Amino acid sequence: MVEKLKYLLTHALINVVRAGWGSLASIASIAVSFVIIGIFVLVIQHFNALIAEWQEQFQVSVFLDDQITPLQVNMLKRRIENEAAVKAFTFTSKEEALTSFRRELKGQESLLEGLGDNPLPASFQLKIREEYQSSEALKGLSAFLSRLEGVEDIQYGQEWVERMTRAERLIRLLGAIIGSVLTLGAAMIVSNTIRLAVYARAQEIEIMRLVGATKAYIRAPFLVEGMLQGSLGAALALGVLFAAYRFVAPTFNVVSPLFSIGASRGFLESSMMAGLVGGGAAIGALGSSLAVNRFLKM
Amino acid sequence: MIQMFHVSKTFGKDLEALVDIDLHIHKGEMVFLAGPNGAGKSTLLRLIFCDELPTSGQILVNGRNIVRMKPRMVPQLRRTLGIVFQDFKLLRDRTIEENLALVARVVGLTTSQTQHKVAQLLTLVGLSHKAQMAPYKLSSGEQQRVAMARALMNDPLILLADEPTGNLDAELATDVLRLLFEVNAQGTTVLVATHNLKLAEEAGCRTVFLKQGRIVGEWNGGK
Repeated sequence: MVEKLKYLLTHALINVVRAGWGSLASIASIAVSFVIIGIFVLVIQHFNALIAEWQEQFQVSVFLDDQITPLQVNMLKRRIENEAAVKAFTFTSKEEALTSFRRELKGQESLLEGLGDNPLPASFQLKIREEYQSSEALKGLSAFLSRLEGVEDIQYGQEWVERMTRAERLIRLLGAIIGSVLTLGAAMIVSNTIRLAVYARAQEIEIMRLVGATKAYIRAPFLVEGMLQGSLGAALALGVLFAAYRFVAPTFNVVSPLFSIGASRGFLESSMMAGLVGGGAAIGALGSSLAVNRFLKM
Repeated sequence: MIQMFHVSKTFGKDLEALVDIDLHIHKGEMVFLAGPNGAGKSTLLRLIFCDELPTSGQILVNGRNIVRMKPRMVPQLRRTLGIVFQDFKLLRDRTIEENLALVARVVGLTTSQTQHKVAQLLTLVGLSHKAQMAPYKLSSGEQQRVAMARALMNDPLILLADEPTGNLDAELATDVLRLLFEVNAQGTTVLVATHNLKLAEEAGCRTVFLKQGRIVGEWNGGK
């Protein structure tokens, strides 16, 4: 078994080297496809990081009526505590709101002098669980809270939530479509390059067939060769992407502070990188399997 | 060893390559299949190693009906056969030794068994000193001897040779013929397809004549 595996790997390597430019062309084509796939994965990963960051900071402000009694505030607290969508919350009294506002206006406190009574309302700041941050769930929560006694207004940046939800869906859909098309394209590239390799070794295959090699025996070195080319192509793509990322990411940070939030998470996660190399191997195996099957007639 | 009963092979709708062939070849026999180009000699050989299936009729090889054989059993059948082609079918990018070792790997010989077998067969065909050379550096006669050595790597029960002397001059053809006799003398059944009637006559073996896909006569080799 070990000897067979050794034989397969050695011969796949020999064949890759023997095919020379053909192998290089195949690995380069796979690398190009994987660079594009990688860019998409990177964009999606950064977008997800951005959304996660945003979700972390996201909060719903519940502004209270100026006439609200301490008893009503306590009742509201209890209702909010029992609400499944709420992860955590803080209460800001009218006085605290004014103090905080003063702090923000540091150096220009004189602006507040003519105000007379404190015009700022007391409020609750609610942190919302991620699964309840969709536009629909927030609308429901907002409707529920606004019906409670003592609540004057609810604010959570409705338009932003809707935009983010739409953008997230669009990017995921685009990612799935483009990812599938590119994966299929990469498989076809491997299939075609390996088909050329298969044709180039038609006589060897014919001899093997005639001396009693089984289909699996003939196919195995080509599958390993395809896997090798696929994973090498994907690894090369990751190398190129990493170099580009190191070079380009700082430029983006200057252009768009939004990007820096995602970029601070670093390059692709290691599981994602392993997935891409594994995906390369799988695509290589699929491509070579398609090529050899078309050729192998017993 | 090889029995054909009313075997016919038609390509497409009406191209009759073989018609109602009845042929029996005994174990250890050496038989020539003679006839002009297009007589159906190669097709007949290809039926024996299951590269084609007959349109009708039955074929028994070593007691097994290969017409009814499941496709997955075909490799097993082929491991009991040795095949030699007119165009040698040697791999140009491998040495002579590697060309022979390819068969050894398929039939599952170990590295030491392979080395031993390769050395033994190259000695038999008189090419031990050229083991590390590429086939295209050898003469046609030498290449055909390598092809024969390769066909013998799996100790076949039957050796099928399709025009083994087709590309060789008379002297080299005699060399190959001598080699075929040696193989036959060791107990291997040999079936040689040739358009060279002189070669068949020189061999003095049983010869079956084919013409337009039909057996049109037989010569017992003057025995």
